[in-house]
Amino acid sequence: MKWVTWEQVGVDRMACGWLIMKYLDPQAEFLFVPVGYKPLTEGAEPFDIPGVRLSHHRGHCTFYTMLREYDLHDPVLQRIARAVDEADTVQDVMLEPAATGLDVLCQGLRLISPDDQVALERGRLLYDALYAQFASEPTQG
Amino acid sequence: MASKERDCVEQPQDTPWVLLVYKIPREPTSSRATIWRKLKRLGALLLHDAVWVLPSTPWTREQFQWLAVEIGELEGEAYLWESRLLLNGQADTLAQQFQARVDAIYQEILNEMEREDADLVALSRKYQQVRAQDYSHSALGIHVRERLMSARGGFVS
Repeated sequence: MKWVTWEQVGVDRMACGWLIMKYLDPQAEFLFVPVGYKPLTEGAEPFDIPGVRLSHHRGHCTFYTMLREYDLHDPVLQRIARAVDEADTVQDVMLEPAATGLDVLCQGLRLISPDDQVALERGRLLYDALYAQFASEPTQG
Repeated sequence: MASKERDCVEQPQDTPWVLLVYKIPREPTSSRATIWRKLKRLGALLLHDAVWVLPSTPWTREQFQWLAVEIGELEGEAYLWESRLLLNGQADTLAQQFQARVDAIYQEILNEMEREDADLVALSRKYQQVRAQDYSHSALGIHVRERLMSARGGFVS
């Protein structure tokens, strides 16, 4: 199916793209529209756009919302959501030191990528790596 | 909230600012406090107890946008603008207010470093937090960074 989001993907949307391709829709096709662009493409599921179902809710990032909306309870994914929350939104409590680095790397990845499509594709490696590393550590509640 | 280095901006006369005005129900007080803390953490300035201001960058616009969404979810209402100051000199005054606030915290760090039992771990964390709000790249911040690096002890590089 088709998924649509705003241009200039960063830490949250790279995480969402990875989640979609890996867990929800291996054949996913992504569309990128300018910030604020309307109307959103018919028949494409919008994500990380204010006001849509798959977006920030109650101070949490879109990746966190997606885990909830699609009933994904893997504790490793939950921990990645915590890191993306800390990287992408204002948080009082900071528990994942990886968050800062993750944010910087995702920005840099977008900078060296010719477009959002390629950036999302490259981001997959980063999140595969993060998943593997978190999975190798003892589960944190 | 991670690194904000990309958002450090020069403050020329025509710098755009993002303004947030919001209303939120009195109860529960925890909702009000949450939003307030996030605004403080972003380093936003509250003008005349009415308007929250930040220099406009893609990052600050995005943060304010998500805050506006959150305020709506808390049954509140938020308006978000990008605007420029029209009166001569006010942009500089505002930029100075932002800088004065981060410089005061940088100075605190320098003062605390004078103590024999200075907690370098806590001070470097404090430095990272204030740097995230240092939208104009204060020279004092660079000085604090150098001081922290030379205070870390061990081998002299």
